[in-house]
Amino acid sequence: MSAPATLARSPERGAIVRAICVREWREAAGNKLLVGMTFLPPVVILAVGILLVAVAARNPPSVKDVQAIYAAAPATAGLDPVEAVQGLIATYFLILFMMIPTVVPLTIAIYSVIGEKGAHTLEPLLATPTGVGQLLLAKSLASTIPAVLVTWLAYAIYLASVLALGSRAAAKAVTAPGWLLAMVVMVPLLTLLSVNLGIFISTRVNDVRVAQQIGGLIVVPVLGLGIAQISGRVVLNGEAFAQTALLLLVADIVVFVAARIAFQRENILVRWR
Amino acid sequence: MATALRASGLTKDFARLRAVDGLELEVPEGEVFGFLGPNGAGKTTTLRLLCALISPSAGTAEVAGFRLGRDDSRIRAAVGILTEQPGLYERLTALENLLFFATLYGLTPGTARGQAERYLRLMGLWDRRGDAVATFSRGMKQKMAIARAVLHEPRLVFLDEPTTGLDPDAARTVRDFIVALRGEGRTVFLCTHNLDEADRLCDRIAFFRRRVIRLDTPANLRAELYGRATVFDILPEPRPEDLARVARVEGVREVFRENGALVVESDDPLVTNPRVVRVLVDGGAEVTYVTDRRPHLEDVYLRIVEPETAPRSTTEARSTTEARSAPEARSAPEARG
Repeated sequence: MSAPATLARSPERGAIVRAICVREWREAAGNKLLVGMTFLPPVVILAVGILLVAVAARNPPSVKDVQAIYAAAPATAGLDPVEAVQGLIATYFLILFMMIPTVVPLTIAIYSVIGEKGAHTLEPLLATPTGVGQLLLAKSLASTIPAVLVTWLAYAIYLASVLALGSRAAAKAVTAPGWLLAMVVMVPLLTLLSVNLGIFISTRVNDVRVAQQIGGLIVVPVLGLGIAQISGRVVLNGEAFAQTALLLLVADIVVFVAARIAFQRENILVRWR
Repeated sequence: MATALRASGLTKDFARLRAVDGLELEVPEGEVFGFLGPNGAGKTTTLRLLCALISPSAGTAEVAGFRLGRDDSRIRAAVGILTEQPGLYERLTALENLLFFATLYGLTPGTARGQAERYLRLMGLWDRRGDAVATFSRGMKQKMAIARAVLHEPRLVFLDEPTTGLDPDAARTVRDFIVALRGEGRTVFLCTHNLDEADRLCDRIAFFRRRVIRLDTPANLRAELYGRATVFDILPEPRPEDLARVARVEGVREVFRENGALVVESDDPLVTNPRVVRVLVDGGAEVTYVTDRRPHLEDVYLRIVEPETAPRSTTEARSTTEARSAPEARSAPEARG
């Protein structure tokens, strides 16, 4: 008797990516710790940011505070003290918003890979006709999409709150074209960088906490750049913005290639422990 | 009959370790092929090679009609594999698990649903289709993993220890399923430590330790190593003079004591056994039972694969002359596959 023909066909790339993303999200939704770690940073940043802008609007700063602000942020010099304080707070929290696309997707990506290692689900996955490139792409998107959406949602809420509660300076700060562009362009680029870094690190370690500690270092340059900008040491004008975006894009490609090299079928099965 | 699998000189090196050494193998379609060997023999590596999960260091193979190294994606589509660990997504339901893998195998949504239902019913899991796999027992998870391995109707199915850790009922379901796969004309490549299972299910068996040491049907392996043996229960217990007397009987290849009885190996028991009975009775022994001795495949395995750990009670108590102990000489490992 001849064996019946297999039903397997070359799977459509879109269908694979969609299936993997949906599967990852369903799994993630069932992981309370991961859900908590995904939503906690934006919720905390959002709540504290809105609260401080609201408090600053009701309580004028002292002379000493104003002098300290002018010294720390020369860009605010000449503004009305109340305006300056709110503007500074609003801008400072915008920098913290840029941390969301580095912290949140990192956690999701790390759980995505280390979780599969621990559950021994990678071998059956790799035994299908799916290419490892498709698998990596799908995993990247599965971590990137929710992180970008969470960041944008948090920014939208923050924007609405500051416009409703804050001063003109605060409103101007959060709607500055540079920041809007950063949200649209930098957030996805930063998220991708964080995700692929998370995947790359996860190929090397088995402990989620160790991976998070290593991956968490990505926050440092982001924070440094933001503080430098507030303090006037770096001015993110059009040219600097384009350069930063280009740098991020290159970093994204480099880290993706590194993750792709680490994410080889044989490496995963034989060398990953 | 078409060939499901052909390997020639297939070799896999990991740094300084040669895990698979020049594998020569040919498995026809529709066969249940047993792949037996000790831990660390390279069985899982061989499976991964043949499923195009890792690439060989040397050699070639054709799996389900596709060339390894050239048609890897098509090989993966044409074969199914049950890995050592079930590897299921525990937070997903049974149905979600199967539908997910069906998508990766390129099944249309309608076909995927139909196949998932078919195999969940076959494995007795249809009523639990909406439950998270995390709530399943080890046996249920294993059955789920088997359903996943055959969901896309592969022509060749690789099963790595399919019944390990299962209760007798679940193990029986799995064994029946393997028999059903053969009935459909599919080829099953069965890696197992369960020699009784291999004996019952496999058409042919390869003993493997980095390469094929011996390959044959279970019956031939037994006969080749142990000849055709008969057990003579006698009273009183066999004495040295009984053994010496029987050893001189024409047609007897070997005689030894085992569990208080005499075991006589001969080429033609129908002719030899009456002579043995006569000699024993003439010597004053009472023959109470004469039964056919069917050695366990485990004995065969140990003598071929791990001769140093083979049961000593069988081999040490032999009393025939060296010239008649031919099976020992044949038990030296030799590649035939």
